[in-house]
Amino acid sequence: MHKEFADFINSKVSGANATVVEAEVGDSTVFVEASSILATCEALKDSDFEMNVLQCVTGTDYSDRIEVSYILASFTKNSELILKVKLPKTSSDATVKVDSVCSVWKSANFLERETYDMLGVEFVGHPDHRRILCPEDWEGYPLRKDYKVQEVYNDMVVDPPAKINNGDINFFKEIMDKMGDEKKVAYSWKKEDAGSSDTAQ
Amino acid sequence: MIEINGKPYTGQEQIKSDLLTLNMGPQHPATHGVLRVEIKTDSEIIAQATPYLGYLHRCFEKHVENIDYRGVIPFVDRMDYLASMSMELGYCLTVEKMLGTEIPKRAQYLRTIIAELQRIASHLMFFGTYAIDLGAFSPFLYAFQDREDILRLFEELSGARLLYNYIWLGGVWNDINDDQLRRIEAFCDKMEENLKKYHALVGENKIFISRTANVGVIPVDMAYQYGATGPVLRGSGVNWDLRKTRPYGMYEELDFDVIVGEGLKGQVGDTWDRYYVRMMEMHESIKILRQCLDGIEEGSIMGKVPKVLKVPEGEIYMRTECPRGELGYHLISDGGKTPYRLKVKSSCFTHTSMLPEMAPGMMIADFVAAIGSIDIVLGEVDR
Repeated sequence: MHKEFADFINSKVSGANATVVEAEVGDSTVFVEASSILATCEALKDSDFEMNVLQCVTGTDYSDRIEVSYILASFTKNSELILKVKLPKTSSDATVKVDSVCSVWKSANFLERETYDMLGVEFVGHPDHRRILCPEDWEGYPLRKDYKVQEVYNDMVVDPPAKINNGDINFFKEIMDKMGDEKKVAYSWKKEDAGSSDTAQ
Repeated sequence: MIEINGKPYTGQEQIKSDLLTLNMGPQHPATHGVLRVEIKTDSEIIAQATPYLGYLHRCFEKHVENIDYRGVIPFVDRMDYLASMSMELGYCLTVEKMLGTEIPKRAQYLRTIIAELQRIASHLMFFGTYAIDLGAFSPFLYAFQDREDILRLFEELSGARLLYNYIWLGGVWNDINDDQLRRIEAFCDKMEENLKKYHALVGENKIFISRTANVGVIPVDMAYQYGATGPVLRGSGVNWDLRKTRPYGMYEELDFDVIVGEGLKGQVGDTWDRYYVRMMEMHESIKILRQCLDGIEEGSIMGKVPKVLKVPEGEIYMRTECPRGELGYHLISDGGKTPYRLKVKSSCFTHTSMLPEMAPGMMIADFVAAIGSIDIVLGEVDR
């Protein structure tokens, strides 16, 4: 099934370079070049596959790149496709750029805004490119793996020490310090019963 | 739709010289949570509406990257807090599909019973609050009386009334007894009568029809463009239900109909149609419940799941039919004990994105009816 998708994309869109990643467990995916995503989506929507619904736009942060997934579905042909692009990352703060698919499906509007907000992927040609879940003036992109929460936001301290309940954390830390090995905490009383022999269960 | 000089109002032509900006929310009762819609009104008509989300944003997707697979279940409860069981079911099915776990028959039946009861409870909540939005108070009380029966049963099963943590990876946490099954049967009988009464009281009411028919029409094209699912898509006349088209769990063996909007009181896809789809879906849920009660058998309620859970490397996208629409989990695993990335595709989020296109040309009171009819829960929108 995914082979057909890849062949179709390669025949319709020049330079798309579609490759299938066959999965043993879970779903297979199709990778295309980032520059041809808009043309690929347009082609898939008007083709015999009839990908009439964009289910989801989402991203995943790996250390050197961000992979943006477009999950397309056809409600007339009852099929599903995970389309992916790789965007190389330059630094932890800088955004990466890819074309917006808002002109193909209107549902991309909010979904791309969320991906921008959470992962710092800039969608070129988006009609309303703002943050959606975080405040407008928030710094950083929370779902990146190297994200650190800003210390001060609008003169307010984020995560003030006074508001963190340290009771539980300290309690467990104390136990760990006393017991040393994590595994010794449970059932350590049994060993004392058996006369401190290691073979006793 | 408002008409000016014989043409439908689009928000471009102005009646008054300047627009009035009005904030609906975040504490507006008709938004069912903390949604803020900034509307620009042209006299009494809405010219433009912009939803602002994020008041309930907890970044649950970041949290679960540090929590093992079993520990995620209480987190997904807190997304759609009116249909927690459906959220859990979707998550468990996703992880189980990656693990290849066999679920015992009894657990599967129990999950289906629970999911359908949850659907009834959620739709009853819609019925009650929607009537309040439109100015009728008593249906709310009727709805909560019946919802209470379901919540009481869930409380006995799981120990909680709203956030259950009941469906676990591999099966369910607690077994059901024969007395509780008999009570579900009695509930089905009672509910079937009650639903007819409720529909006669509200759905056929002349004031209700004139408030909802031909208001907030979502044509099929627009529904596809915005990725609408669930009752919103079916209200627009599309025969699409994941329980039929991509069956999961027990649904393949069960017999039920898919309700679609037919435009009985106005155009296809208006708010009355969405109300109608939800009301009739409860009848279908009762049908499913009856078949499950006949089919449920003795047996184990927990499948074999390894104690230390490691999901094999790979990714999966799994959708289930929740009361408010399709819920999709996109899980990426790197073979470790915690998810590498778990993205939740929320139907409420995509439905909210329809509001800017629905609003222009509506009266403010109609806009309240439109928001109510797409039935969003802000816990799921913001996650």
